[in-house]
Amino acid sequence: MEPAAPAPASPPSTTDDGRPAVEVIVAGVQQASERKLARRENWRLIRRRPSFIIGVFIVLVWVVCAVLGSRLAPHDPLDFRAKVHLPPSADFPFGTDKTGRDVLSRVIAGARDVLKIAPAAAFLGGIFGVVLGMLMGYIGKRLDLVLSRIVEAFIALPVLLLALLAIVTLGNSAWVVLGVVAALFTPIVARTVRAAVMAERDLDYVTSAKLRGESSSFIMFREILPNVMGPIIVELTVRIGYAVFTISTLSFLGAGPPPPSPDWGAQVSEGYNSIAAGIWWTTFFPAAAIASLVIAVNLIADSVQSVLEAS
Amino acid sequence: MTDLAVPPADSPSATSALEVDNLEVVYRVRGIDRVVLRGVSFTIAPGEAYGLVGESGCGKSTTAYAALRYLPRNGRIIGGRVLVGGLDVTAMSESRLRQFRARDASMVYQDPAQAMNPTIRVGRQLIESFTLLGQSNSQASRSAIEALRKVRIADPERVMDRYPFQLSGGMQQRVVIAMALACDPKLLVLDEPTTGLDATVEAEVLDLVRTLRTESDAAVLLIAHNLGIIRSLCDRVGVMYAGRIVEEGPSAEVFDHPQHPYTVGLLRSLPRRGVRKTEKALDTIPGILPLIGADLPTCVFVDRCALADDTCRTVVPPVVPIGTDGNRYSRCHHVDRLASLAETPGHVAISMLTPDEAHPGVLQLSHVSKTFHQRSTAIPALVDVDLDLAAGETLGIVGESGSGKSTLAKTMLGIESLDMGGRVALDGHQLAASTVDRSADDKRSMQMIFQNPDSALNRSWSVRRILVRSVEKLTGIKGKEANDRVEALAAHLRLTPRHLDLRPRQLSGGLKQRVAIARAFVGDPRIVVCDEPTSALDVSVQAAILNLLADLQVEQQTSYVFISHDMGVVRYLADRIAVMYLGRIQEIGPTDEVFNGPNHPYTEALLSAIPDVDGGVKARIRLDGEIPSPANPPSGCVFHPRCPRAIEGLCETTEPPLQQAGSGHLIRCHIPVEQLVELQRKPSVDA
Repeated sequence: MEPAAPAPASPPSTTDDGRPAVEVIVAGVQQASERKLARRENWRLIRRRPSFIIGVFIVLVWVVCAVLGSRLAPHDPLDFRAKVHLPPSADFPFGTDKTGRDVLSRVIAGARDVLKIAPAAAFLGGIFGVVLGMLMGYIGKRLDLVLSRIVEAFIALPVLLLALLAIVTLGNSAWVVLGVVAALFTPIVARTVRAAVMAERDLDYVTSAKLRGESSSFIMFREILPNVMGPIIVELTVRIGYAVFTISTLSFLGAGPPPPSPDWGAQVSEGYNSIAAGIWWTTFFPAAAIASLVIAVNLIADSVQSVLEAS
Repeated sequence: MTDLAVPPADSPSATSALEVDNLEVVYRVRGIDRVVLRGVSFTIAPGEAYGLVGESGCGKSTTAYAALRYLPRNGRIIGGRVLVGGLDVTAMSESRLRQFRARDASMVYQDPAQAMNPTIRVGRQLIESFTLLGQSNSQASRSAIEALRKVRIADPERVMDRYPFQLSGGMQQRVVIAMALACDPKLLVLDEPTTGLDATVEAEVLDLVRTLRTESDAAVLLIAHNLGIIRSLCDRVGVMYAGRIVEEGPSAEVFDHPQHPYTVGLLRSLPRRGVRKTEKALDTIPGILPLIGADLPTCVFVDRCALADDTCRTVVPPVVPIGTDGNRYSRCHHVDRLASLAETPGHVAISMLTPDEAHPGVLQLSHVSKTFHQRSTAIPALVDVDLDLAAGETLGIVGESGSGKSTLAKTMLGIESLDMGGRVALDGHQLAASTVDRSADDKRSMQMIFQNPDSALNRSWSVRRILVRSVEKLTGIKGKEANDRVEALAAHLRLTPRHLDLRPRQLSGGLKQRVAIARAFVGDPRIVVCDEPTSALDVSVQAAILNLLADLQVEQQTSYVFISHDMGVVRYLADRIAVMYLGRIQEIGPTDEVFNGPNHPYTEALLSAIPDVDGGVKARIRLDGEIPSPANPPSGCVFHPRCPRAIEGLCETTEPPLQQAGSGHLIRCHIPVEQLVELQRKPSVDA
């Protein structure tokens, strides 16, 4: 982090007096272009960050896999049968699993579910978290006191156990998984939003909004929300990574979609018993898929954060 | 001042404490080097105090930091030399530089709280500055106590045991000064050392610096935006503009007879010599400070100068010596034509109505109190305030931090609800305690202008959206009509349609404040509360904003409640002044009467604490101790523990009555008015 230059780093300024309007406009134009340049410069900087490029590239690869699915896969991920436990070869680059299915095809097909559910879960949890955090941060007082304790209690619970319990009770449909992951993320997002809102709520623009009689919901969601979008966007991106991880963990533990599904977590769970026998590829490739997606999302989140913080 | 102040050009370094020679500094921003200092030269003799003035962004602080080679990482010295006591700072190795900073030069920053480590006791931090010089621990701790005595801290042992946050701002700054003096530096750099402090505390710190100067032969480089401080403390002053010193000379001469168009403009934009809004509009400096790194091949001030001609645009102005002493110069082609710089023609603001029985005033506060509750303690922030505000009147409210000025404003507006038993009435009808419960019309009638426009304007909204929304909420006008109204109002406040589509941070401080003013005026308010509206602005911008406020008031008969710590500004704009201390109004009266006296002893101290840019001689009234906590106010008269005129046995037991000191002039004091007049008779200058 570069310390800002003391005095001259202040933003470029325009006129403050009664100069003819033409001059004022000229000054304004110069400045607007300066700002546009700055923004372009920021994007240039983020696009040049290797971590951002790698992250976006990996995510794009998985998005293509998810969209094209079976059309991209060399074999049918569910019904194709070759010999069981074939090691990686030219025909089967990722080998085959214990029932003779092509691991590569299953890894490609597995991208679809996780890429549907993870962002949706993060987004849903984000919305609930924003609303909750906004109420805690802006309304404050007793409401905050009560909600904060609930949020803390929730965060303190072993989430995986809670999630497993919920899925066992409610069934393991994609909707339940989505809802459960969203519910797990809500308090975490809420805490971030609360802190950001508390820094805003005492600023004078909020006072000014009260003075003209704005409602609390207007102040929260129209006045304050745009100013706390930075941390929210970063938090959401990070959450998508965690959602991939959580969903895979749940299916590894058997709370995901039932066996024939090519879900990554489920594949790892099916294959890991055979690692001791030297059959590493049935586990390694789906696990690598999970890891690559989580890392890629986090690389993007890092870049976004550093750019938002700098500007 | 001695002859050493301006040494002959050929042998300077031998005698100067600081010699800055043609210094050029750039900051690298987004990959491009931007020039901030364009050849700054000046010298300070041992024991001399030199001030640098100029508006923000002109390079004062950069010069100060560069003098210790203490630039931010993106800053670089690209030309010139800095010699401290003959040592070339620009050529030192890193380790030599560290040694130099430890032994030969010290710096005092604006915010003392940030200059100290909050987790380490004051004593240990101070002792460290001495062990660093090679003293043993016991020796260092003796030196530390001695150093605290030197900065007039009465009980050094007790202070050493404290953490920084347990000390008041004034005490913190004393400790920082003690640390800075630990090495007996050849050069002491003070960067806005009193900017964050209250007026009476500021005066004490300045007194201290003045005394210390007589005890040490350290050269002082003082950066301050307050010209009065520079005048009262510095032998010589350099006026900076856009990275160059445009004028230099003895402080009194420069401030009394400026010889550069920029200095002239700077001084004229200040409300000085008790000038009032009814007498004249303040001058402003047209145009804007060039952006850093701007290409300024000739005179740096040419774009804003009324005297500029083709010579100024093509030829670098020479250093023109002024007078015959050889200690004064101006960098201007047209020093001889300065007299032709026109002043802004005078304008007369309306004469306001003093509220009386016939004209009860638009706003009435009676028995207004506000108590905050923190855990189980009650903190009375406002105690039994009565006020009347006439239509078109400006009521100035002054007082130090914690006096309840802002709480009073917030309580009037209903941002804070007043305690039971009080009453705020607008045009005779009682207002609801909280804004939420007030009618749309009541909300429209009372608006506010805040101190910091960065905080007051939503940074993710465009200016147009900010203003249109206010029009819609406050007046009920919607859509295109609202937009038209905004454009008309904006044009009236000299904001262009282009500005309307920008975001606040794309505007300068002055323009932002114009937007905030426009917002307050969208619904033709009866009363506008201004909470330090110009304290975040440079003086030339402040002048423009004060003019604007005065003009709007004339047109709209708006009443202002004008909160400020700057007595000059209050005197210029206010028709009446209320002086607050610990949540109580101690004195209220017409501006002239408050400035001429007799006064409440607190007002007296406050008035005497102002460093005067005109160099007026004043007897300083010193206040003992610190402002007490409002949670635990003193008995009787709340001012008695600090009052130099307190009457023993009376003031600490009985609350003083409000005395009539003139028409509409009230003083809350036990001392009879006639006696106050006698006590406060101004000593004649000859005596």
